[in-house]
Amino acid sequence: MSQVTLGGNAIPVDGAFPAQGDAAKPFTLVGKDLADVSLASFAGKNKVLNIFPSIDTPTCATSVRRFNESASKLENTVVLCISADLPFAQARFCGAEGLANVVTLSAMRGREFLNDYGVAIAGGPLKGVAARAVVVLDANDKVLYSELVPEIKNEPDYDSALAALK
Amino acid sequence: MATVMLNGTPISVGGRFPRVGDPAHSFMLVDTNLQDVPLSRFYGRRKVIGVIPSIDASIGLTIARRLEGVASALDNTVVLVVSVDTPYALSRIIQQEGFHRVQLLSTLRGRDFHKDYGVMITDVPLSGLMTTALIGIDVNDNVVHAELVSDLNKEPDYEALAAALIPPVPQNPSLVA
Repeated sequence: MSQVTLGGNAIPVDGAFPAQGDAAKPFTLVGKDLADVSLASFAGKNKVLNIFPSIDTPTCATSVRRFNESASKLENTVVLCISADLPFAQARFCGAEGLANVVTLSAMRGREFLNDYGVAIAGGPLKGVAARAVVVLDANDKVLYSELVPEIKNEPDYDSALAALK
Repeated sequence: MATVMLNGTPISVGGRFPRVGDPAHSFMLVDTNLQDVPLSRFYGRRKVIGVIPSIDASIGLTIARRLEGVASALDNTVVLVVSVDTPYALSRIIQQEGFHRVQLLSTLRGRDFHKDYGVMITDVPLSGLMTTALIGIDVNDNVVHAELVSDLNKEPDYEALAAALIPPVPQNPSLVA
């Protein structure tokens, strides 16, 4: 159980958020073609997990775009944008904004990911969606860096996240 | 367990689909203001529940548009469109479409509705979504119409719903005379 804030109000977040040095838990999410996509699908690559409440909110849109820009400069690294949005919404957003290089993944089949990665908002108006967080994994799925963004309305610390891979 | 079709492929649907005469199952959904919405919110009104796989799928949006028209035509009736889409996606569509009558609700906070209303798709790749259905509930919360649409590419029968929801008023001979 963690706690973040939404506009200054405390919001409980369920699950254990991964810490630096942890082994990443396996997960299965849903890709844009509705197929299952697991952590193992990206074996051998560095992974930047960009987790946020919804692709249909302005702050989230900004974060996806900025991460996409940065990801294109990193070697052997994939950026996974993870939210509770359906793949239909995620695909529509990426198409509209020209973000085809980013892999979007949906928690539409279940909320196990949100609990396993300690980002399941458990109270307040955002209950049911993911908290804003960044988790960086190396090629062996070890956690190099993680940030559970303390205030949901703020953006993650991109520079620190990307520095973890350099 | 029911089966519906998608492009000729059978898709399994779990849960117990309501039958005419059943008391409507209680539910808790989420509106576009991120507030919980229970069935009891609409007590004393007729309810139409249109279930769609996604508002971002063309068939889902088509059904929502038709139900906006249905909502305008029926008095004392609340028309709900329920899907797994986030409330943010539903908000976007309401603004885009200018919906005034129909209420778009999300199962964001739990999947009980999927089971309790017998619309839970259980086959990959669509599992997690709900299959299309149209349910009519009277002012006493009894189910008066229930159609589990047999094909995911098809629309429900809106006319049958309206007929079940508002039966023709029987003529009273003593008044006619």
